[in-house]
Amino acid sequence: MGKINRRVMMVGGAITPPNIPMDWSWRQMAAEVFWNALQSAGIAVKDVDLVAANYNDRAIADSSPGPQIADALGILPKPVIPIANACAGNGIASYAAWNAIASGRCDVVVSLGFARSDNYDAMEAMNTQGNYVDYDYMLGMTHINYGSMRDSYYRRKYNVPLAAAGTWAYECNWYARRNPLAANYSKPMPVLEELCADTPDAERDRQATNRGGVASAMVFAGEDIARRYTDQPVFFDVAYAFRPPYIGNFFHYPVEGMKEYDLAELPGLMTAAREAYEFAGIRREDVNLVQVHDLTAYEGMMAIEALGVCEVGHGKEYVLSGGMTLDSNCPINTYGGGPAFGHGSAGSDFQAGVLENFWQIRGQAGERQVKDARVGVNTSYGTHHSLDVVGVVQKGW
Amino acid sequence: MSDQFPEQFVRWDTFSSALWYRSKGGRYRLEGTRCTACGEKFFPPRTGLICPACHARAMEPYQCAQAGEVVTVALDDVGFPAVGYGDALPRVQAIIRLDDGIHLMVDLLQVEDPAEVQPGTRVKMVLRKHKREDTGAWVYGFGFVPER
Repeated sequence: MGKINRRVMMVGGAITPPNIPMDWSWRQMAAEVFWNALQSAGIAVKDVDLVAANYNDRAIADSSPGPQIADALGILPKPVIPIANACAGNGIASYAAWNAIASGRCDVVVSLGFARSDNYDAMEAMNTQGNYVDYDYMLGMTHINYGSMRDSYYRRKYNVPLAAAGTWAYECNWYARRNPLAANYSKPMPVLEELCADTPDAERDRQATNRGGVASAMVFAGEDIARRYTDQPVFFDVAYAFRPPYIGNFFHYPVEGMKEYDLAELPGLMTAAREAYEFAGIRREDVNLVQVHDLTAYEGMMAIEALGVCEVGHGKEYVLSGGMTLDSNCPINTYGGGPAFGHGSAGSDFQAGVLENFWQIRGQAGERQVKDARVGVNTSYGTHHSLDVVGVVQKGW
Repeated sequence: MSDQFPEQFVRWDTFSSALWYRSKGGRYRLEGTRCTACGEKFFPPRTGLICPACHARAMEPYQCAQAGEVVTVALDDVGFPAVGYGDALPRVQAIIRLDDGIHLMVDLLQVEDPAEVQPGTRVKMVLRKHKREDTGAWVYGFGFVPER
């Protein structure tokens, strides 16, 4: 490990609400959240030293998005780090932001993400240089198939009942009715028994809902200057790890920390969590708030297991015993999770969790406020967990 | 509408002559690689790549086993219509463990219901036509069928 010169603080953030107008371009979405995030922190555009931006729009992936983003945000000639790494790419953008501040090179950095997938079928982007190895792509197998396979295997290996998955989705929806930013905020509350049923509709409702086009931004600053902008800063730390892209190799990859596990566990997330906790100076027992990126209820349970909220294979007991609720020692997915906040890919899948923990720790979460929230952890993943990211925010001074 | 236009209006193809040429050994014969330094076996092949186990750069071709057993099964009723797999639904897919320990994700052929196969069911490789590209060329590749 190199020398860390200073801690990194989060001082503001913003996310677009559901149902962004179809005539908004990605540039408009990026500018919207960039502006609103800076406004929330009281920082002028001219004071931003760097933007790290991830995106999931094939339309610009082959071009040169750095100057396009810098131009849209009005920060030219200052630099933008463009990143494309699937849904959890903002975890890498935040990692770049963290490094720039911790090293002392930059004072204020914005980590930004956007996805305009409702204007473009991003499936084309999932070629062999992206999400898939040659054989998957040519033989027509996708990360959606990977997800079905993972759920099937996890359920069988750990004997996970439908009731656990249904309860997971129910709790996510309960929180979403208390979060105006959630996709399901104004929709009727589902019935628990129906969510637990063995039907195609229930199976669909236990999975993520699509959020459509979305963008979000987070503002970070060095600890020594954060006082200029806020009296409620939070510390921010982040780490990520990769796993082999081919699903068959989840069963045997000859690397320590990977070969002990298979498709039913998330060793990449375990690795990222260890590093993030170390940088944050926390133990897993200190965590009293968790948000996970869950495209299905089953992988949500896998994520809390990997974070150490409960033992591996025991996510079902944690959920069924009320572990997700506000009465728990460590509530889960107060933002609404994949089933109810919605899947926003590069536009929100990492950032939504960080922002929720940020607002919770500052006491700004309204009806879903966790009492005495001090340390919040969130996860995100890119394409079948070949990338796993963990973010930690904790109360500052 | 669908009677008049049975093919999708928009479809992206996987065809790339260079990619097809490079991948034919794996797709047709399950040809992987083995590290000559540590003996670790890999599929997909890591030709010219660095071994993650011992960090040598010494891969040689390796013929994977062509039979094995089912680890887990799932039904694909969503498909990948954008690249031409929408016509073949539903597909029964499986993770299988070959007899040499390598794991693959495959289409299970001659199986209509995932309940027909259980973990441990023996399967063997076949070469099959997967789909036709817009170029008119057929995609051939491996699939697996239960040993009966």
